[in-house]
Formats: sequence, C-alpha cells, structure tokens
Amino acid sequence: MTATISSAVLQGVVGQAVSVEVHVSDGLPGFTIVGLPDASCRESRDRVRAAVLSSGFGWPTKRVTVNLAPGGVRKEGSGLDLAIAVAVLVAEEVLTKQQTAKFAFVAELGLDGSLRRVPGTLSLVEAVDPPCVVVASDAHAEASLSSGREIYCADTLVDLVSCLRAEVAFAFPPPPPTTAGTAAAEDLQEVRGQMLGRRALEIAAAGGHHLLMVGPPGAGKTMLARRLPGLLPPLDDEAARVVTRVYSAGDFGVPTSTLITQPPFRAPHHSTTMVALVGGGSRALRPGEISAAHGGVLFLDELGEFSPVVLDALRQPLEEGVIRVSRAAGAVTFPAEFVLVGSMNPCPCGNAGSPGRCRCTDAARMRYARRLSGPLLDRFDMRLFVQRPSAEELFRGEPGEPSAAVRKRVLAARAEATRRGVRYNSMLPSRDLEREAPLAPEAARMAEQAVASGQLSARGLQRVRCVGLTICDLEGRKPPLGGADLALALQLRHNPVSLDHSYAGSHVA
Amino acid sequence: MWPEDGAAGSAGDTEGETLGDEAYLAALSSLAGMGPARLERMLVRWQPAEAWSVLARGRLAEVTSVARVGEKVGQRWIGDARRADPAEIHLRHSRAGVTLRRRGTAAYPERLVGDPEPPALLFSQGESALLECPTVAIVGSRRCTRYGADVAFDLGKAAAAHGVTVISGLAIGIDAAAHAGALAADCAPPVGVVGSGLDRIYPRENAVLWRMVAQRGLLLSEAPLGTAPERWRFPARNRIMAALSDACVVVESHVDGGAIGTATEAARRDRTVAAVPGPIRSPASAGANRLIAEGGGVLCDIEDLLVLLDISRTRLPLQEAPARTGGGAPVTDATAVAILDAFDWMPATLEMLAERTGLDLGELAWHLESLGASGLLARRGLWYERRGETPVPAARPG
Repeated sequence: MTATISSAVLQGVVGQAVSVEVHVSDGLPGFTIVGLPDASCRESRDRVRAAVLSSGFGWPTKRVTVNLAPGGVRKEGSGLDLAIAVAVLVAEEVLTKQQTAKFAFVAELGLDGSLRRVPGTLSLVEAVDPPCVVVASDAHAEASLSSGREIYCADTLVDLVSCLRAEVAFAFPPPPPTTAGTAAAEDLQEVRGQMLGRRALEIAAAGGHHLLMVGPPGAGKTMLARRLPGLLPPLDDEAARVVTRVYSAGDFGVPTSTLITQPPFRAPHHSTTMVALVGGGSRALRPGEISAAHGGVLFLDELGEFSPVVLDALRQPLEEGVIRVSRAAGAVTFPAEFVLVGSMNPCPCGNAGSPGRCRCTDAARMRYARRLSGPLLDRFDMRLFVQRPSAEELFRGEPGEPSAAVRKRVLAARAEATRRGVRYNSMLPSRDLEREAPLAPEAARMAEQAVASGQLSARGLQRVRCVGLTICDLEGRKPPLGGADLALALQLRHNPVSLDHSYAGSHVA
Repeated sequence: MWPEDGAAGSAGDTEGETLGDEAYLAALSSLAGMGPARLERMLVRWQPAEAWSVLARGRLAEVTSVARVGEKVGQRWIGDARRADPAEIHLRHSRAGVTLRRRGTAAYPERLVGDPEPPALLFSQGESALLECPTVAIVGSRRCTRYGADVAFDLGKAAAAHGVTVISGLAIGIDAAAHAGALAADCAPPVGVVGSGLDRIYPRENAVLWRMVAQRGLLLSEAPLGTAPERWRFPARNRIMAALSDACVVVESHVDGGAIGTATEAARRDRTVAAVPGPIRSPASAGANRLIAEGGGVLCDIEDLLVLLDISRTRLPLQEAPARTGGGAPVTDATAVAILDAFDWMPATLEMLAERTGLDLGELAWHLESLGASGLLARRGLWYERRGETPVPAARPG
C-alpha cells in the first residue's frame, strides 16, 4: 500500500512543500526514510513509531519506506512527523485517502502521540499546496496568520484521527488575546538634554540612516538607542509578515501567535559570533540577529569590542537589505533591512571626546579607533558625539518632546519617501538623488567647498544629501535643500575626535 | 665658538691606533639601560676608555659597585661590551653625519658647561651655531587644544623672526607647533632635542618635521644612533632642553605633564620660566596656569616673549596684536557674531553652542560651516574653537 501526504520543511525562513510518500510492503520488518533527511528528520522514525503505537494503532510488521519528495532538497527538522504518521495510517488503511486528501500536516509528534508546534509554522503553512492544514493546537493562532488557508488543529494523534474520520468535529482553540498593541516602549520624554542626540534619532527613524554614537561611559548612548524603536512607525502588513516569519523560524523568544507590528529592537552582545549575527549554521540555516532586526533597529553596543570579522560581515546586508548565506548544503536569503545604531567609547579611557581630557597614549587611541574599519564607518550616515549631560540638565532640564509627537513627524517624512518610491530616504538610489534632493545655490556652494577641501568624498556627499533630504522632510518643507539642511547633515557626518586619524598639532607640520 | 670640524676631525682618526674618548663614550651610552646618572658615576671613577676595558674584561664586581647597578644589568653590559666595538660605533656615527660633542671639548655647548647634570656626550646633527643665539624653549602638552597649537605656532614664529633659536622636543602637539612656527619664520631655524637616537624618528607622525629640523636646524640627543624612544629618556631629555635655553615657555600643559618637568628643570638652572595662561576649565591649561600661580612669568601677548628675552624692552604698539573681538574680521552678520561670542575662547560643540545661543541646530550648523570656511573657526573632531589670528579672507558660502 502506498500513501502520499503533503507537508513542508523550512529553508531559512521560507517553507518548501514536501510530499511524504509511504510504501508498506512485504519483506523483513523495517522502517527507512529516504529523500535527504538530516539527523533530526531521521529521528522522526522513532518518534512516529512510538506515537502511532501509543495512540493504539498497530505498526505494520512489514517493510515501511518513507520518501520525502523532492528528493534533492535537504530536509531538516521534526515538522514532518505528523505527515509521516498520517501517511503510515493511510497506508495501513486506518484512514482513507479521501479523508486526508485536502489536508496538509505540519507538527512534531511526542512519543505519547501528542502534537507539538514546530519553528517556522507560519512559513510552512504558507508553503503547502492543499487548502487545509492541520497543526498542533498551540500553533493554531500563528498558522491562522497565513492567508487563504483553512487551519485545523488537534491535541493528539488519536483526536486527529477521530476528526479526520468525521467522528467528532475539529475543535478550535480560542483566539489569542490581542496584545495591547504597543508595548510601552521607552519614551523620548524621559531624556534630559541631548538636543542633538534627539534630533539624530528623529532623522535616523525618518530616513533609515545608520547612526554611530560615540561618547564617554554613562553619557546615555544606550538610553538614546533604546528610544529609537518608539519613534518608528508600526510595521506595515507586508513587513510585519516578514518579521513574524523570521521570529517564527528563528525562535528568538518572542511569541508569534499574532503578527509582530512593533518594529523590533535587537541588541546582541559584543561576544556574538558571525553566524549568530548574520545567520547560517552548519546544520540548518537559521536567521541571525540582523534578520531579527528587520524593519527595526539593530543596536551594537560597544562596537569596538566586537570582532572586526563579525562587523565587516555587516557590510553586504547594510548595502543590500538582505543577507545571502551560502553553504555546501544550499543557499538561502534572509531579510536584513534595519537601522544600524552603533555605540562606542571614544578611546580606551573614554574621555577622548573632550579636548585635552584623555589619558590614553596616541597609539592606544589609534588601535581602538582602528577596530572600526573604514568601509564600515563609511556606512554610518550620522556620527554623534554623546556628552554626559550637565547636572543642571539632569535636575532642572525640561522634559523633552514625547515620542508620539516625534513619531508624527517621522510618519509624515516616511510618507514623502513612499511618494518617492522607497520605504525611507536612505534607500534612494543616487541617480534619483539629483532629482529628489536638488540643492539651493548656497547649499551647492557649501557642498562644493566641502568636497574641494577634502573633508567629503563624492560618496560622502551623496549620503549627506540624503540626510539633508530627510531633515528637510522632517521640517515639512519641499526640496531644494537649504544651506541649513545640508549644514546639519554635514555636521552629523563629521567624525568624532578620536576616530579622526589626525593628531594634535599635526595640522601645522 | 666650537670649530665645526672638531668632532669630524676626531672621527677621521678612528682608523688609527688611538681611539678618541668620544668613541668610548658613545659605546658606553649605547649599552642598554645606561642613563646619564650611571654613566656619570662610572666617569667619576674611570676615564671612558678605562671604563670600557673594565667592562670588556668582565670585572663585574667593580662595575656593579661603581655604577650602582644590579648584577643582571652588569652582566648584560659586560656581554654587550664584549661584542661591541667602539671604533665601529664611532664610524657609524660619523658616516651618518652625526657629530659627537664631548664634555670638556670646544664642541660642547657653552650653556651646558657648569650645568648641575651635564650630559657626558651629545650627539648632534645640523647647524650647531644656532646655540650661540639667544634661545627659548617652547614646550607643552602633546594633547593640546587648537588654541595651544596656534599660540605655540605664533610664539615659535615670532621668536624665530627675531633671531631667537626655538628649542623644543619634537613631540606631537605644542612641540610640533612651535617647531613648525619657527620653520615658518624662515629666519632662525629651530633646535630639536629628542629622547631617541637621531635615526629613530619618534613619533612617526612628525617625520617630515623631524627631517626639516635636521636639514635646516639642529637635532640633539643624548642617545647614540639606534636607541629606542624609551620612556625614561624623555624626562632626561627635558633637562637638556631646559639647560640649553635662556627662557622656558610652557604653552599648554596638564598638571603632571612633561612640560612642567622641563619648567622645573629650567627654574633650577635660574632660567626665566613663563607660561601662557589658559581657561581655568581647560585641563590642557591646568599645568600652565599652576605655573603662573607659583610665580612663573605670564605671556599675555606674543610681544611678551620678546620682552622676556630682552629683545625689545619696550612693548610694541598693538598694531600686530590679533583681533580678539572679531572686529577686524569680515563678520557683519549679527548671528555669526553672537555665535563667536558664545565660544568664550573655549572649545565647544554644536550642541553646546545651540544651548548658549538658542539657535536652531540647522541654522547654527550653517553658520559654523561658514565661519569654518572663512578661517574664524577650527574644527577638530566635533569640537570647534575660535581662531585668534585675523582670518585669511576666503570665499564664504552664502
């Protein structure tokens, strides 16, 4: 007897439809799985057999061969368990082909026959061919996020068989409580002082410009960075789906029973490995932190402490918005469109930002600055020096503008970008910049001077223009960019003193 | 007067059987860890050639007791002395164009005669006659501000223009600015007293300046060629700078900066010590201000330097004094003037200025860029400083 059941496996963050074919024939009793299963997939054998037996169905004392088609694709994970079990039951005529024809099955089995959720359920459900999908009860909400599929669920294999035989109706778990929309992100209102810092955050949020914050310890770099997600508009449906798929596949510890509409904020520790950051892995290709930050903010605190190799791996995704991970077993593409916020101390002692206060040797300072490669530094459209707020600012400063007010301006600026055909200004290709961000005469003169004096490269000028355009948008003005727009953008691009590879007095030599 | 060819002559007879004391002294100074004090103790007891033979014969007990060094150091000296050849060392120096100036010869700088801690041997390269002019040491912090570097440059230029030899240490920061200023005057080239061997350019960033001083001015060192810039050599070098100068000017220095050491050495030798005052909030000026508080002279003006050196007893009229109010500058814009006033002649960031002036960040940024372009402001990293000099008229955007 043979039987064919639909299911899917995960490849990166997208699903790949798989049909599970079971062949039960005479011969020495045995159970083999073919079709490039990996270790976790081969272990299905024991789980499926135990689950079928403990559910009270007999296991054929025959030769059972399972084929996972297409045979050329490596299958990973335990999501095929249920499909294999159902296929065996069909082959054994516990179920009929008609009863299972319109269903696909995506769940892991416990030894007692219980159904369990598998990572990436959303992508898997979206990948299968049949219109109806059976998942574990705890994955029902997530699976229901897919469009155009009927989702059914069961707690155990026994229940499922009864339902498929139409002896009892499928039960549906109550829909998950809708989480109260915005989990109160930290508000910009709580920040005292930091006038330029707030402004830079606003520009970063509106234009998607990467931001580097340099400052002494305790100046408030992390505090500022944590307030950036609160300025970002909620994700649109498309982006929310992508983010939810990533979180579902990657198990980043965020429930995926509802669409993730809040822009994510990821702050991996500086001991993070390259694979954990950009994605990959030897067994299954998992999305990394940069994909988890898709649509939101990737905050790298203590940038100087990250391994240079890890940091330089960020260059391609920063440029293209996706990361392609290729291994011998195959290549996958993960989404990776995020606002990068880096923070670092200006030097080992942390005081180099203020003239004459640093106690480090020049060699030590240079070594520290060199940890950030030139090409990566170049990706930061804005470099901000964060100073410790004065006592007066801390205790008597007025509370700043609340995040909600800033977000309103950000939304308006994003709308301008959408009109230009991009999600935000930093994605504008340079050929469009000429048209979208013309320079007023005084701004053009300043730009020319900045390039002529060598403080700005041609590429740098493009980025400055881009930031200038965002500044212009935020103020609700139409291009051309005025002198003030460009000047502020220029100011935000200057390197903090310690990253300036020049020495005191060297200007006169 | 020391004959220019004096040392060169002695270099010529190294081939002969009698090797000059210079050669032995050079060989002794090239031993690892041989500082001026240890060398001095050996020279009190032995002639240079004698000291070398004691080492070469491996008389460890004598060496350790006379030089007051541990056995380990003594052993290493003996090992090195057995391998090294004074004649070869001497030849290497004369081939490199380095002159050896031994204490007690005519080639020895006059100001060092009768010094409390005179170096036994000086290695020099360049124009030795420079030390016969009046001299001023201009020293200061390596971590200086733009203000300090500008003042050091101006002082160096003014001194050199009046035929005063500027002595400094060729370090980065104030030293480099003083040297550059003196070279810019194109009159009296400067003297660089360095801590490493004359072929070991340190710090590397000053390589161009170092070579220019060697070509046009004079380089001096207590260390033979090939000596690495070890930390302890710099305070020892400071005493030579202090001894060679008629006056010592500290431009900017941290409280415990090396420049304070130079000033102390100068005061010990009854040289005039003066400092350029700085803002009391600036750590880079703390040492200089302290020096003033403790009785050092005050340089309120570039002209004060000349008064200090007795070059002009009367102060010149203020025609060349830098415009400090921006009055002479082409700044007519009221906002720009307000921004310049907000500086208080202290470094400030965009954010600080925005708080002081209450201007919008964009507008302020625009003015900073313009003022920077016209030379009224200097930027280092994210800090702006007002520049004292009357700006060179430049095309201003807008």
